[in-house]
Amino acid sequence: MSDYIIEMNHITKRFPGIVANDDVSIKVKKGEIYALLGENGAGKSTLMSMLFGMYEPDEGEIIIRGQKVKILSPSHATELNIGMVHQHFKLVSNYTIAENIIMGMEPVKKHLGFIKSVDIKKANQEILELSRKFGLEVDPTKVIEDVNVSIQQRVEILKMLYREAEILIFDEPTAVLTPQEIEFLLEIIKGLRKDGKTIILITHKLEEIKKVADRCAILCRGKLIAVLDVAATDTKTMANMMVGREVSFTVDKKEPKFGREILKVENLTVKNEDKFDLVKDVSFTIHAGEIFVIAGVSGNGQVELADAVAGLLKHSAGRVILNGADISNYTIRRRNLAGISYIPEDRHNVGLVMDFSLSDNLALKNYFEEPFSGKGIVREGEFAAYGERLIREYDIRSSQGNNTIVRSMSGGNQQKAIIAREIELGSDLMIFVQPTRGLDIGAIENIHRQIVAQRDAGKAVLLISLELDEVMNLADTIGVIYNGEIQKIADAKTLTPGQVGEFMMGVGHK
Amino acid sequence: MKKKNGLIQKIILSTIGHEKRQTYMIPVFSILISLIVGAVVIAFLGKNPFLAYYNLLQGSGLAPKASYAGYKGIITDFASFLNALTPMLFAALSVIIALKAGLFNIGVSGQMLAAGFTATILIGYSVLPAAVAKPLVVVIGFVMGALVGALVGYFKHKFNINEVVSTIMLNYIIQYIVSFFINTFYVDPVSRQSKTVGAAGRLTLTDVVIGSYKMDIPLGILLAAAGIVVTAFLLKKTTLGFEIKAVGSSVRAAEYAGIRVGRTRVLAMMLSGGFAGLAGVTYYVGYFASIQPRVLAGTGYDAIAVALLGNSSPVGIVFSSFLITVISKGSTYMSSASGVQPEIASAITGVVLLFSACGAFVKYKVDRWKEER
Repeated sequence: MSDYIIEMNHITKRFPGIVANDDVSIKVKKGEIYALLGENGAGKSTLMSMLFGMYEPDEGEIIIRGQKVKILSPSHATELNIGMVHQHFKLVSNYTIAENIIMGMEPVKKHLGFIKSVDIKKANQEILELSRKFGLEVDPTKVIEDVNVSIQQRVEILKMLYREAEILIFDEPTAVLTPQEIEFLLEIIKGLRKDGKTIILITHKLEEIKKVADRCAILCRGKLIAVLDVAATDTKTMANMMVGREVSFTVDKKEPKFGREILKVENLTVKNEDKFDLVKDVSFTIHAGEIFVIAGVSGNGQVELADAVAGLLKHSAGRVILNGADISNYTIRRRNLAGISYIPEDRHNVGLVMDFSLSDNLALKNYFEEPFSGKGIVREGEFAAYGERLIREYDIRSSQGNNTIVRSMSGGNQQKAIIAREIELGSDLMIFVQPTRGLDIGAIENIHRQIVAQRDAGKAVLLISLELDEVMNLADTIGVIYNGEIQKIADAKTLTPGQVGEFMMGVGHK
Repeated sequence: MKKKNGLIQKIILSTIGHEKRQTYMIPVFSILISLIVGAVVIAFLGKNPFLAYYNLLQGSGLAPKASYAGYKGIITDFASFLNALTPMLFAALSVIIALKAGLFNIGVSGQMLAAGFTATILIGYSVLPAAVAKPLVVVIGFVMGALVGALVGYFKHKFNINEVVSTIMLNYIIQYIVSFFINTFYVDPVSRQSKTVGAAGRLTLTDVVIGSYKMDIPLGILLAAAGIVVTAFLLKKTTLGFEIKAVGSSVRAAEYAGIRVGRTRVLAMMLSGGFAGLAGVTYYVGYFASIQPRVLAGTGYDAIAVALLGNSSPVGIVFSSFLITVISKGSTYMSSASGVQPEIASAITGVVLLFSACGAFVKYKVDRWKEER
């Protein structure tokens, strides 16, 4: 019976407005690498968060080593020898590696019999041994902020091993790594299996699963689609299952009529604070009446690319040309006025002032212009009239109309408000970053229609999407980004979803 | 345990649970709790808390005292109360404007001192006629405060120095520099304070005889009333006010909307400092006519309580300034009449600050309870 170390039976977890996991059952054998595959929002992380005690399932049971358990908290999970490396590392950046690893269970020594202090020498020694044992060499005395991401990840892994975890959960461990680092990590994961650890790998990268996993569960929109033996299945089948066989609603789209060149991006490079290239030498052009989709797996530089075009991030090299004018040195406001509308990825912190009223948010980008204000004095009547018109035309639903505080609105209506505002700016270039993320199917369909309508009205549309079917449905031209570099730019009709998927994973042939 | 909580929850919910009433019910709630706490303390000292509170009103000219000296009456006390109220109003406006931009101006006291000192030495000791001197004092006060405020804003913008740290540090710097100059050049050997400023520049008309009473009339109170209107207008009706509020609510969203965050912060701090400057001149070149070296006015700190208690609204602070000034101004009389030390009054002010600072938490907690029901 207890061939399985983990059994999660009939797990259901609901969040307001969404079923994150719908009757999901998985069984993991001791000593195997078990992959969880699925698109963004398919419910992989939620499922593992329940195993790690961060959420409680609404329905279903969890059985660890043959015993039914209720995992109350991450520390409870740690007691059960379960460890998790989160997508965003949970490290104290000004502590040393050793301090981060031992935190919460420090070896203590006593002076004069009663004054306690952390025995950091002993800790350093222990960690050095531990890291050698698993081939994860680190210098325990280095401070976290001085080491790179891949070392930080090793620290996270060591943290689990130090706590004697038997079951190791990796949440999208390769999203932040370079290809070489990924290779190394996968070797480490295999090594851990050899040491008898059980590993659960959350990912949406098929190549990785193919390389290391024994079995693979595919989740789609909260439901378990299949559990496959990786060796006996090819990546194409897995990709099909991951995207979902169900007919994805297609968007009515006429043949595109390309007009003049609106946006031209030349050799754009964006660096982060560590001088690491997030966007590398990217060039493309978008014409009036064209939907240009940048497809890619999350964290490959696409958001930074959009931010750089909109002026929210400074680029270190290259040029951004809008309607023939070089806008590289323009401020954000000047870019907006020059004709850029931007629907940002983070609608809560960037797209909206959450504590402002709906009408103030709808006028957020033109409050300073006629007729909304004159000589520095705002005209509340104009705000109200404009707000009412947009609420009506874009069907934005809220409890108190114009005066509703945006924070209290639903995500779908918040997004409608942003899209209404940005469309009404009448800009030549519309940038949409993951406009449908987290929304329900009705809202998604609506937004897709608006995007196509903008194209047909002669706008240039730059759409950044992580969803393969969104890419295939909407794109006139597809540019695939991987690791900050454009892998391929082609007419959408010449590419199959499979090919796009391969380029997204960085394995396509140029 | 659970049941007891339930009862308290019910009582609290029925009073401050209603969304619309929360804006003023929560401050009223914190004042009530503070007064109760104060009463308990006074009772522990063996004094009658009701009498003590009545003394506060008497001392502020809001209730008649048992007897008055010659030329004095309730109206005299009230005029004196208005003298103390004026700088408090300006100081609270200063705190509000900074708060709206998401900045915490702890340096109101320092800005007050810088402005008050500059106006004292440039105009207060001069022989200019009143018609020139008084407006100049106001202008110099505003400009000096605005300069200090702008410096804080610039540090925040350019070097990302937290305004709480820079304003506290500036408080010390200003305090010691000013006391150096006073002790070296402007000290009055008898009072050990700076020499008294001339009547021409002073913003309070002293010993004005009206009927059978002599009183000190603060001209600044009219300016403060105008300041309240201007601030309300600025925040509600101007594009700058819109930008200040946007930056204060969400820096990233403001930036995305094309608002220049740094410029907005510097401007907000300038205005905040400017109002602090006006508080300074109405305090040091009005209510008082000299500066005590090495001491910062408590007004600048009390103003934070006032602003929070007044829900950071220009209208709200009228009420909260009134209350806090009654407590601080009336404390002297309270101590002489019922023997309760004036420090108790400061303690009550402190408790008000404590509870009003909890306002956001109370609101959050009450909203949670409502959801659970």
